[in-house]
Parts: sequence; C-alpha cells; structure tokens
Amino acid sequence: MSYGSEEAALDEREKAARLYATYGPAVYRRCLRLLGDREASGDATQEVFVKLLGDIGRLEDRETVLPWIYRVATNHCLNLRRNARRRGEEALDEALEAAPHAHAAGLPERQLAQKVLSRFDAQTQAVAVGVIVDGMEHEEVAEVLGISRRTVSRKLDRFLRNARKFLDRSDS
Amino acid sequence: MSARAESRCPSDLRLEAHLLDAERSGLGPHLEGCPGCRARLEEMRRQGEEFRRFVYPATVEAVVERSRPRPWWKAWPVLVPVPALAAAAAVFLLVGPERPPGDYVGTKGGVALAVYAATPAGARLLADGAEVPANAALRFQVRPARPCRLWLVAVDAAGKVSRLYPAGGDGGAELTGPGALPGGAVLDGRAGPERIYAVCTPAPIPFSEVERAARAAAGGGEAAVRSAGALPGLPADASQETLLLEKRP
Repeated sequence: MSYGSEEAALDEREKAARLYATYGPAVYRRCLRLLGDREASGDATQEVFVKLLGDIGRLEDRETVLPWIYRVATNHCLNLRRNARRRGEEALDEALEAAPHAHAAGLPERQLAQKVLSRFDAQTQAVAVGVIVDGMEHEEVAEVLGISRRTVSRKLDRFLRNARKFLDRSDS
Repeated sequence: MSARAESRCPSDLRLEAHLLDAERSGLGPHLEGCPGCRARLEEMRRQGEEFRRFVYPATVEAVVERSRPRPWWKAWPVLVPVPALAAAAAVFLLVGPERPPGDYVGTKGGVALAVYAATPAGARLLADGAEVPANAALRFQVRPARPCRLWLVAVDAAGKVSRLYPAGGDGGAELTGPGALPGGAVLDGRAGPERIYAVCTPAPIPFSEVERAARAAAGGGEAAVRSAGALPGLPADASQETLLLEKRP
C-alpha cells in the first residue's frame, strides 16, 4: 500500500519515473514515426507521458497498456501535425511513408501527405495512419482506437475514396 | 513442435510488445526468417537507446513533477461541505472521551476526522462504510478538541497496518489545532475493506503500540476489518475513532 504523506509522495515519484523509463521508449518511437523529428519527438514524448501518468493505474496494467499508449501518442502527434500545417510550419509537414505491406489501394503513392490527411476528422486520420503507415490489421487498429472493426473498415473506405478524388483534382 | 512463423510482417505495435516481452510476443519464428522485421526491430532498439541516453535524463524530472497531483488546496478548492449535507452524511468522526464541539456531528468527543476521496468532480466526503475506488487518493482533515499527539493508521484484511500520518518520527504528530494533514494517502489498488483509525493521546506513544492495537482489533480477515471497534490496550486518556472504507475494483 502506498500510504503516508511524504513517503507516499516519494513512492509516487519513483513509480512515475519507473513507468516513464519502461514505456517512454515506446512513446518516443511512436512520436518519431509520426513526427520524424528528434527534438519535436522528445518534447511530444514528455507531453504524452504527463497525460498517461494522469491515469497511473492504467499505465500499470501490462495487459492493456500498449494499445492505450499508442492511441494517446498517435492522437497527440497527429494533432501536432495538424496544428503545424495550420500554422504553415514545414517541419512537421512531411509525408508519412506507407508500410511496405500496407493495404493502401486507392492511393497513387506509397506515402500519406499531410494535405490529404488534414481533410479528415481526427479518428479517420488515426485509422488511415494505422492501416497505411503502420500496416496494422483492421482488428489491431480497432483495438488501439477502441472502436469496432466495422468502423475501421468504413472509415478507411471513405478515406481512400475521398483521398483519391482529392488527389485526382489536385493533379488536373 | 516448433511454432509456425506468421507470413505477414507485424506492425510496430506488435514489435513494441516484443521489445517488452519477447517470449510472450510469439514473433520469434517470424523474426528469424524476416530480415526486414529484424532491421526494423534493430532500428527501434536504437531509438529506445536514444530515449534512454538523451530524452529520459533531460525530461524525467519535469514529467514526474508535472504528473503530481496538485496540492489539495489548489486542486480541491471546496473542501468544506454544506453543513446540512455534512450532518446527514455523518462526515466528521468524533473521537475520544471529551464532549464534541457544538458544530460537530456524532456522540463522542475528542478529535474530529474528515476523510475525502478525490473524484473527477472534486473532493468527496466519505461516510463510514463508503465505497471508494481501490486506488483512490485520500486526504484527511483533523480537528482536535485539545492539543494532542496524533497517529493516523489503516489496517487491511491481511492485517497489514499502514502508517498514514505522520510519516516519520515515533511519538505521533503534535496537533494543536484544526487543519488538513499534509500530503495524503493513495490506496493500494486491492479490493476489500480497509479501516482507518485516528488516535489522539496527550502524551507521545510509539507507533508500534498503535500498530499492535490495530492488528489486534482488525487484523483477522475481511469480517474482522468490517466489524472492528475501538483499539484495545491504549492509554486510558487516548481518544480514538475509526472509519471503514470498502475498496472496489
């Protein structure tokens, strides 16, 4: 039991630092994948982990912690990319490379440009990134985002259909 | 029989699971036969090392500091309940042989103890037997009728006696007036009953004496925790009271 005033505070600090050492690398890698910039990823990792530590009990559940960490980090980093694009910053506006084995039928190139992504709502963006950039199975994306597999398929279909239209218009 | 390798390359998320626990990931056979995934895994390891060498040392203090709960007086601006609700909920537990002040609820005198649990909506005042999340954060307010030495302890169904306040020293905290106790307590996450005791004595008594009494009174399983009464064997002039909490998963 972590009880007591000063002792409990010390315990909590040690626990938080230990969890950060254990799961910080996963957050950092996720941020690197989505932001592609070391400094921005280090900053984002810090922000994401403060959010995660807000629910420390969940962070201690080894069975379910990784998908949750992935969701929080993905949402945070995609949000950073959206904001950077709105502000016209180029640093975080690089296209995301599609996974080699990803199902990306309908996209002309094996990359996902921010100008395409930013036309969709946050959850659809997360679905598209999960399937196309991360090469996840639909079930895996559904688990990470806490939605049904059917919703993943529906959002992905809509994304691919509309992204194709948008890119065709841009080409012509 | 050897495990069959999956033909499809795993996602980064599954590789993360592998980095945390290679045996349980089940990816060994695939990785053995897939140079691309081995290269990706190696890259992830390098990035992890980068985090450990550069990011972690530079940010851990800030992360830990920012994740700490705000001081109760900032996070819980309204700690004092509406008097009528307080009376209805029998919020203050009054302890000891002296008569309680007029504004206290209860029939015994001595020290009044209020226990609060943090909730998303703010601090919730707990009544005896209240259900709380098993990992709830608690705060305590104490109001002695006279200066005394205070021990605040908790005992669970396993007979473990936890020292809530004071964290250090061995004579109890000197209490001269009403106020919130510094810091707080975080429950251990295990479901079951937990009984909190406030003990106030005119002269210092060692923690071991309170610990022994708490274990004797409530340390014999869940039923004993729930039915326990006053701590036995304490000085005759000691004031004491108890509050039962039911920790829920």
